Amino acid sequence: MASNPALFQSPTLTEALDLLAAIPGARPLSGGASLVAMMNAGLVEPAALVSLTRIPELRGIRVTADGGVIIGAATRHNEIAADPRLCGTAAVLPHAAAQIAGMAVRNMGTIGGAIAHADPGLDFPPALAAAGAVVELASAAARRRVPIREFFVDWYATVLTPGEIVIAVHLPKPKPGVGLYLKHARVSGDFAIVSVAVSLARDGEAHVAVGGCGPVPLASAEADGIVSSDLSASALAHAGDLLTALANPVDDVRATADYRRLLIPRMLARALNDCMAASRSVA
Amino acid sequence: MTQSVVGVVGLAAPQLEAAEKVDGSARFIADLNRPGMLYGAVLQSPHAHARILSYDVSRALAIAGVRAVVTGDDVQTNWRMGAFIKDEHALAKGKVRYVGEAVAAIAADSEAVAREAAAAINVVYEELPAALSPHAALKPDAAVIHEELANYIKVFDTGSAGNLCSRTSFREGDIEQGWRDSDLIFEAHYLTQAQAHVSLEPCGALAEIDANGRITLWSANQSVFRVQANVCESLGLPMSRLRCLTPRIGAGFGNKMEPHVQPLAVLLAMKARRPVKLVLSREQDFEMVRARHPFDIRVKTGVKRDGTLVAREVEVLLDGGAFADDSPGVLGYALLMSCGPYRIPHAHCHGRLAYTNKMRFGAFRGFGVPQITFATETQLDEIADALAIDPIELRLKNLKRQGDRWLGGQPIASCGLNECIERVRTASGWNGGRHRAGSAGSRRALGMACSAHISGLLSTGAIIRLLEDGSVLLNTGAVDIGQGSNTVLSQLCAEALRVPLDRVSIASPDTDGSPYNWGTTASRVTYMTGISVLGAAAEVERKIKEHAAEILECSAQDLELVPGGFVAVKGIPHRRVGFAAVSGRAHWAAGGPIIGSHSWVFDQKTVDPKRASVVGLPFPQIGAFVFNAIVVDVEIDETTGKSRVERAWSACDVGRAINPQMVEGQIEGAFVQGLGFALFEEMVWNGPQIANPTLMDYKIPTFIEAPSELYAIIVESNDPGGPFGAKSVGEIGINGVAAAIANAVNAAVGVRLRRLPLTSERVLEAMLASEQK
Ligand SMILES: Cc1cc2nc3c(=O)[nH]c(=O)nc-3n(C[C@H](O)[C@H](O)[C@H](O)COP(=O)(O)OP(=O)(O)OC[C@H]3O[C@@H](n4cnc5c(N)ncnc54)[C@H](O)[C@@H]3O)c2cc1C
Repeated sequence: MASNPALFQSPTLTEALDLLAAIPGARPLSGGASLVAMMNAGLVEPAALVSLTRIPELRGIRVTADGGVIIGAATRHNEIAADPRLCGTAAVLPHAAAQIAGMAVRNMGTIGGAIAHADPGLDFPPALAAAGAVVELASAAARRRVPIREFFVDWYATVLTPGEIVIAVHLPKPKPGVGLYLKHARVSGDFAIVSVAVSLARDGEAHVAVGGCGPVPLASAEADGIVSSDLSASALAHAGDLLTALANPVDDVRATADYRRLLIPRMLARALNDCMAASRSVA
Repeated sequence: MTQSVVGVVGLAAPQLEAAEKVDGSARFIADLNRPGMLYGAVLQSPHAHARILSYDVSRALAIAGVRAVVTGDDVQTNWRMGAFIKDEHALAKGKVRYVGEAVAAIAADSEAVAREAAAAINVVYEELPAALSPHAALKPDAAVIHEELANYIKVFDTGSAGNLCSRTSFREGDIEQGWRDSDLIFEAHYLTQAQAHVSLEPCGALAEIDANGRITLWSANQSVFRVQANVCESLGLPMSRLRCLTPRIGAGFGNKMEPHVQPLAVLLAMKARRPVKLVLSREQDFEMVRARHPFDIRVKTGVKRDGTLVAREVEVLLDGGAFADDSPGVLGYALLMSCGPYRIPHAHCHGRLAYTNKMRFGAFRGFGVPQITFATETQLDEIADALAIDPIELRLKNLKRQGDRWLGGQPIASCGLNECIERVRTASGWNGGRHRAGSAGSRRALGMACSAHISGLLSTGAIIRLLEDGSVLLNTGAVDIGQGSNTVLSQLCAEALRVPLDRVSIASPDTDGSPYNWGTTASRVTYMTGISVLGAAAEVERKIKEHAAEILECSAQDLELVPGGFVAVKGIPHRRVGFAAVSGRAHWAAGGPIIGSHSWVFDQKTVDPKRASVVGLPFPQIGAFVFNAIVVDVEIDETTGKSRVERAWSACDVGRAINPQMVEGQIEGAFVQGLGFALFEEMVWNGPQIANPTLMDYKIPTFIEAPSELYAIIVESNDPGGPFGAKSVGEIGINGVAAAIANAVNAAVGVRLRRLPLTSERVLEAMLASEQK
């Protein structure tokens, strides 16, 4: 930890993107929950840090004219956990946010940092996959939008190119229904062994995704199609098997890969049954 | 002396250091600084077992700001330390024996430079085959970890040979007869894991050398006297040259009793001739200090059909790691406790301890008893199930009582276990049925376990001085590691001298000025040091009365201490004189300043040779038994297999609660630490390397994992030998937690797991396997 990189507090997005383009080895710094820990452990040595948290455009949650929700990349986990506009099928997001780490990390960490970090154990990636999110990216040269299910590429790898950052997450207009995030971890605040994210609309449309079981969240249109039309035990088992087939989990100190595979259908069924119970009690 | 006269004993006084801990002004080792101080860093071994062929430190020494480098070449071969077997140098010499072992240390102007220098040291190794488990280490062809073992100094008959570090055996009755007398015999095999202490404060030390070569050493410790002994043994110093002091301690749990980096800090300070502070990182604290022993346990129990216990054999194999440390003590003590608090006429409890190429294992709250109790108390539940006897009734039927003898033969002076069991049985509603309605998708049941522990071991002293103004200074040498012994010892002193608590101050332990105290370990401070405090107070009282007799012109026999710091004629309270007047007279006129002192060594024999035959006894004098009964209410998630302890009742016979609030704190803390041991804490090795030496990967319970309702129940048996009847509470509360939880899991989901921790994965696997059957 001998290095002491320069820190830039950019007031505008343009300036931040220009700095990132101009300084080789510069990294965006958002909440710092992961980046500073990695620097302390000597895992990364950025040439410079460009802080994103003072850029107004990247902060906070907005609802657009068509009812969609835009979450700025530098929005903290705790803000997401507490926002009442993330309701109905979008409730999966605050439900996941509330289960991230402990209070201190939730007060620091941001959604942009979390998805850019792309640790396979994180809670937002599967929650966003179930919520049907689209990620908005920007570099000094261009802006683009990528569906969340295409954003993650491999272990700790995303479609982000050098100099490019996440600026926002776009959610479709939340539908009436329920969103639920079922996280199984050794202790509260630990990374998930397996997690299951569900958005279940009252009209039957359902999206599911699984975390902790491979480099990217597990989700498939086919599995969504099944659970959107049939929530019987056998249909849930079928969807669970489809997602399990996509899994590429590892053995680690939290659990074995076999246990994770075993849990996917079990937790999927549990999560959807809990959703049905919740929607019955809402109705 | 059991009546509280001034009401200080039994008072839930707040910890004396509470304010400084709340406002952050308490100073721990990392907070200390000295003028001109350097910072230390350690180079750790990358190999589990290798010969050190050469060191090249020239590149490290060339770095600006590097002031000293030490290696194994700086210590002599015969400078070895160790509590039971002197087998350990201050740092690796000649060989490395585990991944992470200190190979060299550096003192530099900053921590960053010291670390950079550590990386610049070049060590040439010749790798040797490693023994990574006790089974592998005890194979005849295993690589020998300590070639010089036969020549090491040992404090008892250890039976060491090859990689066998020590062995112990207790025999009582006639085990073969016991099997013949039994109607049913139960036998099973159990495994427990390595648990990390995870004290809030990692280990560290600060050493300073003066112009005359005398050294002062502050460190995170549980005994300034063990620090002094270990540093002097490992650096060839006379003990009088080293003064050991203590800052506040951020918990110990056994981890800070024996040495960590104190010898390195001193060696660096002597070489640099400047103060040096060396504090381990959290990762190094995981990798270099010590942890709870993994146990491999076989338990065989013979019973009558009516549930009477007849015979018990226990055989254990312990992974000791690379150095003996406290391991021979853990082996012997675990075996001593392996019949539990039950009358079992025929017993054979024996085991071995192996050296392996892993970090040393050592003392950890419970000292081997949580491991043994997991095996023996879950087997008792299996017996109860097989005989269709309620598990509590089975235990009550076989319980040891006051006056009975412990395994080995020592009489039990006081025993409140029966009351502990009844209290948790009633409070938990046990008799209403063990199965409870769980939340949707889960199953829930009660489980229970009992255990015992000791309070008395080795030696201790206390000095009380009456200062000129009549206030009282207590000096015991016992390090308060956060558990509150300063407060409790001050309460005992205040009660004995009938003065308000704020009239007593307690000196910080100092090997120059404090009486010897073996350590804050083995649940011994309240009992052992408490007895010395009362002994010293009695001497002060006698001297006060001698002076008062002169002043009041009466016989000393007619005087008594009265509350508030006075001595008065019995029955005539207004004929009195204050401590200030008494002490003034002593200081300026007659007799000299009033000092009371007391010291003793616990002298109850562990073994009565007429009853038991023992081989390899590490603690020939240990005792003053305490007892515990626990009931837990555990819910298991059927989807994942995850267990959650919803409610728990832990009743401890502590003799007498000198400070009930602190007793409750110990019971609660021990429960939660035991819960981590039971459910998820586990140090994992990937080959020779610890795979999870971080708080990211090694998880301890948080408040969220603690039971929603945790009831600490105090039972007071008033031990006739204890100070105001007190025994101990520091460890007893952890011993039975894992067994009680495992018994509840079995009651809830019908699976009997004999391996800790009971991870969600293991529980679910077992549930699915039992469904298939
Ligand atoms: C103790 C602890 C426990 C945790 N437990 C959990 C948990 O249970 N569940 C969970 O989901 N997470 C957990 N986390 C991770 C946490 O959610 C982090 O906040 C998150 O991973 C990173 O967010 P951040 O804003 O702090 O990012 P930073 O730490 O600032 O950055 C992380 C990485 O992303 C890059 N980056 C940051 N912002 C952007 C951006 N807008 N565009 C492109 N790249 C960017 C940085 O350069 C860096 O490489 C835990 C973290 C800690 C320290």
